[in-house]
Amino acid sequence: MVEMMKGNEAIAEAAIRAGARFYAGYPITPSSEIMEYLSWRMAEVGGSFVQAESELAGINMVIGASACGVRALTASSGPGISLKQEGISTLCDEGLPAVVITQVRYGNGLGTLFTSQCDYNRETRGGGQGDYRCIVLCPSSVQEYVDLMLPAYELSEKYRIVVIMMGEGTLGQMMEPVELPDFVEIKRTPWALNGHYTYKKIGIFERDSMAEAVELRAKYDEIKEKEQRWEEESIQDADYVFVAYGVPGRATLGAVRELRNAGEKVGLIRPVTAWPYPEKAFARINPNVKGIITVEENATGQMIDDAALSIKKTHKDRNIPAYALTYVYNTPPIGRIKEDYFKVKRGEIKEVY
Amino acid sequence: MMSEIIFAGSGGQGVLTCGLIISNIAASEGMNVTWVPSYGSAMRGGTANCTVKYSSDNYIYNPSPECPNMLLAMNQPSFVKFLPMVAPGGTVLIGDTVEIPDNARTDVTYVKVNCTEIAVGLNNPKGANIVMTGAIIKLMEDFKHDAAIQSMNNMFEKKGKGKFNAANMAAFDAGYNAV
Repeated sequence: MVEMMKGNEAIAEAAIRAGARFYAGYPITPSSEIMEYLSWRMAEVGGSFVQAESELAGINMVIGASACGVRALTASSGPGISLKQEGISTLCDEGLPAVVITQVRYGNGLGTLFTSQCDYNRETRGGGQGDYRCIVLCPSSVQEYVDLMLPAYELSEKYRIVVIMMGEGTLGQMMEPVELPDFVEIKRTPWALNGHYTYKKIGIFERDSMAEAVELRAKYDEIKEKEQRWEEESIQDADYVFVAYGVPGRATLGAVRELRNAGEKVGLIRPVTAWPYPEKAFARINPNVKGIITVEENATGQMIDDAALSIKKTHKDRNIPAYALTYVYNTPPIGRIKEDYFKVKRGEIKEVY
Repeated sequence: MMSEIIFAGSGGQGVLTCGLIISNIAASEGMNVTWVPSYGSAMRGGTANCTVKYSSDNYIYNPSPECPNMLLAMNQPSFVKFLPMVAPGGTVLIGDTVEIPDNARTDVTYVKVNCTEIAVGLNNPKGANIVMTGAIIKLMEDFKHDAAIQSMNNMFEKKGKGKFNAANMAAFDAGYNAV
């Protein structure tokens, strides 16, 4: 049945239905309702819930649960995700799957509580020490968030990689009608620790880091080739193509449709995977496109680097300008996106690349 | 056609619940609908608000406030803050304590409902938000009275608050009939 659900609660329930049976984390606005919900819900399904003493403790408990073959989850935002980076890097080093939810809020340091996309660079580049990537999913509605929870676990186990669900404050706090998926059958990953010393012990100095790096690189290449996801609209005849994800992505879709109705030849690529970045979508853009325009909830323009690189790679015959409309925090109104589009068209906004 | 409503007041006046009731009514009609609250520090500062958008034919692209056709302002700071956003020709529904200044914009329709006085008269002083819910349903003309009541009752029953249904219906009707 379809009913109104708060984003954070729907996402938490979707994680349970996707088989998550361990949660550890520390509360932070605007993600706290995820763990508040799981604090009682996890017990109902026989899972384990820990309100950890810190984010660091939480992510390290996730490492343990994952090593034991249990679908594990943690959630946070902004500075809380920074604290988890060491653990995420360790998960990656050990090839352990896990899902990490971030409901992004704006700002440096402690920052603010405003909904934002300021952590794009951190999530897509592997925010901790080392030389790794995480798969990053960036839904634009509560329903899409819910629908991506099972694929998130499947991807994380298929590739033995961390999957970051990169939401934003609004997606956690808003309510929308949601249809929840069915429960999946729970099974432990076949390679999990089982308490019987089944597997050979490998000490840190016995590892071949060079060989592991080569394997990782091959794994990331395979993910880049196979796992790009996006939605697109009207890009094959567009003069200008917007690129936006998450809630700004859906606002931009509204702007694109209104502009099309007014005779403007515009299109949209909405990345669903922020990493791997949907480069393949850019190859489908009109060869005569006049520019691409990212719409971002940050101040500095972060996704523009990936969008510009993609268009310069797929449209090599000339230097297509790449513009960034940056709205810092809060979802840009459709009217504002439209106004700024005309500024780009009139040459009043300078390209970034 | 999309409707956008901002519900604003001070914390505890029930504006988030009011928005939630309206959004549930829209959802029960099978509409596309979004509800976005103010959250975090904004709540602790004394004012609260939420934005509801619904449409029977279109996806809700931007769930955040943009250009409301209807503003519910339950206190003066909310009235001052959100009045400039209201679409020309829109409706501004205000509670007992809100005063309209002489120089207020004239391209919107102001409707005053003394919701607190009405709620106290019904011996249901916490029901002022439900009074306003009834008024909004009447003013928006998007939903049938009985279906709205049914959906409201269902929502409270699911929350384990079905025992208040009779009082809620009385408050709803008082607001519905006040406009």
